[in-house]
Amino acid sequence: MKHLPLWRHELRRAGWTACAAPAAALAVTLALTATAAAFGTARPQLERFLLTGLEALIPLAAGMAAVAVVSRDPSRELQLTLPTPYTTTLGRRLAVLGGLTATLAIAFSAALAAGGWWTGPGLPYAPLVWAAPLLWLTGLALLVAALGRSVVLATTTVAAIWLGEQLFAATFATTPGLRPFFLFMTTRIGVPTDWDANRAALAASGALLTALALMLLRRPERLLTEEET
Amino acid sequence: MTTLRQTWAVTRYEFRMQIRKRSLWITTATLAVVLTFSQGDRGPRHLPPGTPPREVMASWALLMALLLPIGFGMVLADRLTRDRRLGLASLLESLPIGRGALVAGKYLGGLTSTAVPAALVLLIAAAGETAHRHDPALFAWAAVAFVLVTLPGLAFVAAFALVCPLLTTAPLFRALFVGYWFWGNMLNPDLFPSLTGTLLTPLGDYPATWLMGERALYAGADGWLQFLRPEPGGAAAVAAIALLLALSIPPLALASPLLRRRNLSA
Amino acid sequence: MDIQITGLRRTFGKVTALDGLDLTVPGGMYGLLGTNGAGKTTLMRVLAGVLPPTAGTVRVGGHDLATRTGRLAVQRRLGYLPQDLGLYPDLSAREFLDYVGLLKGLDDTAARRRQIGELLDMVGLADAAPRKLRGFSGGMRRRVGIAQALLGDPALVVVDEPTAGLDPEERIRFRTLLATIAAGRTVLLSTHIVEDVAQTCRDTAVMTRGRVVFNGPVADIVQRAEGVTWELVGQGPPPATGVVVSAVSRPDGTHYRLVSSARPDPRAVPVQPSLEEGYVALMHAGANG
Repeated sequence: MKHLPLWRHELRRAGWTACAAPAAALAVTLALTATAAAFGTARPQLERFLLTGLEALIPLAAGMAAVAVVSRDPSRELQLTLPTPYTTTLGRRLAVLGGLTATLAIAFSAALAAGGWWTGPGLPYAPLVWAAPLLWLTGLALLVAALGRSVVLATTTVAAIWLGEQLFAATFATTPGLRPFFLFMTTRIGVPTDWDANRAALAASGALLTALALMLLRRPERLLTEEET
Repeated sequence: MTTLRQTWAVTRYEFRMQIRKRSLWITTATLAVVLTFSQGDRGPRHLPPGTPPREVMASWALLMALLLPIGFGMVLADRLTRDRRLGLASLLESLPIGRGALVAGKYLGGLTSTAVPAALVLLIAAAGETAHRHDPALFAWAAVAFVLVTLPGLAFVAAFALVCPLLTTAPLFRALFVGYWFWGNMLNPDLFPSLTGTLLTPLGDYPATWLMGERALYAGADGWLQFLRPEPGGAAAVAAIALLLALSIPPLALASPLLRRRNLSA
Repeated sequence: MDIQITGLRRTFGKVTALDGLDLTVPGGMYGLLGTNGAGKTTLMRVLAGVLPPTAGTVRVGGHDLATRTGRLAVQRRLGYLPQDLGLYPDLSAREFLDYVGLLKGLDDTAARRRQIGELLDMVGLADAAPRKLRGFSGGMRRRVGIAQALLGDPALVVVDEPTAGLDPEERIRFRTLLATIAAGRTVLLSTHIVEDVAQTCRDTAVMTRGRVVFNGPVADIVQRAEGVTWELVGQGPPPATGVVVSAVSRPDGTHYRLVSSARPDPRAVPVQPSLEEGYVALMHAGANG
């Protein structure tokens, strides 16, 4: 583990706010669920909301955090001159973020299952509830950030897609062309027969978007200039 | 008078800097186009001929309010924190301008600069509607809908978007803001305790309902905090607007000490 | 590690930052003088492998910087101090160097720590090593910058405007440091401060508008101002012709030193030029040419 010290450094570079975002998403989920319970909301609704924390809020927080991770680096020019490619460094920071998020999400899922609150697919497939939309939203956020060189554009795109899919959930659920990219299938529909296909489409296209973003970030001009500050 | 002049100066330049932001225009245009083409059968484009112009334009204002403020919130989220990042904080602290005037100017500049594209979107919608409804009154009602439905929500969003990142950080605020926008404006109160449908909904549900003459989204729907869900109408709309404007004041009042704390910290 | 540049062009959209630049840099300490906006930082970035050339060839130690493998080969033997070095404020000086060392591939922990200790000693920051960087003065930050550049014992060190904004004592200290590290390696010092080059480099290039207008011994720059440097004592504003290099107010009037190809005023007398006046003459000729 000769790279362990480097990973420790990258954990700090990813920043506490970025790393705290997924935890904050789950804290908000728990707080709202507790509030709802206090107001006598029925158990199925509460279970669905807990699942929403995983499927909707965790990917949203991770997408926003990913934009923050790739957008700000005071030593960027120096980083670009080092033999370690900067995309590798950014990849490590994103991996730290992804690792933390995954740990939290798995622990949260396990706690829900242990407490009898889990309503998602069978536990072996449970990670796909959050991992597939997370990959897709994060990939999109990174690509827009790399293309537009603007934090505002990237975060607004993520926010608009997220809200749009929530608002027009019925359209996404019933339109064949949109259904594979419906981020909230588990919480809005459940686990239908094409759930696996939906998760696979999201994960694969998310990985593609991330790869495209990292390819763009290999061009130093994209990193040395920020469109707007 | 000096404070007023200083506030005006900050407002003017904040407005100029913001209005020149490419992302503000791209965001507004993209969201407006997406909303226009994805509005569904209940959207203003599908209102039958002969629908009163006030109803048409209130419907447009409400439609745009679904997502446009999200973009504006993102744009404004770093306006108070970026001075330090750009190395301007010490310079601004050294100037004989009160922090209150600075905050007020940045708020008004930010608010007006986001209001301009929002108003333009409604005027373009009015122009489009006029083309097939042939009623020039649509423009007047676009202005009314903008003032009653759009602007109070923008005032509310601008205040929180400017100040909250001083407490958290811009990235964390942006994530929380999206979640809040859904929970506080669109999450059916019947399904889950939310602020949706209350007087505190910055979406402009109450004013839009008043203008449209029928429930726009959830205004007054039964749910959590029943005392904030009066029967929609003129008085309720005015109360909703007044409440949103009043709620914009506390964060702005907190901004000066928060900014001072941030700028003076090493 | 020698540098050979031929016909280098670098454009940003419609803006041409480097316009057919030719330059050969042998080993040792070499100066690169030029006004703000002359293209020095772009050249430094090209040499550091940050920006690929738009056209022309750049070979550093035989490696072609137009290729990714060439850039990587150079970066493995490069130390770079950018003009605006941003530091991670939450790290201490020691931690920052440790991080950069790891990214430079110094994987042996003991050796890396030993080298960091030596470099911190060398730049006079041993006592401040555990302190967070956010509290460092401009001079201290610059010294952290040169320490990170020297990590891994690079064969080429590129420093971009390292003394801008430093107080005189810190500047002298930094210059001495740069001269010290030049033994056995190539150090390219880019600056707009003539004095820095005069005190540390035997040879220099002078850039303006993306081109090299002078390449040779620093002392030769003075010759460019011989016969065109004037002194004038007057009461009013300076004459309209020529470039005023200095203006000192004294009881008998203001003493102007000017560079002008023609006598700027009947009262002006020719004087022996300084290095700075030579530089001004050179830039003036470059601008007019």
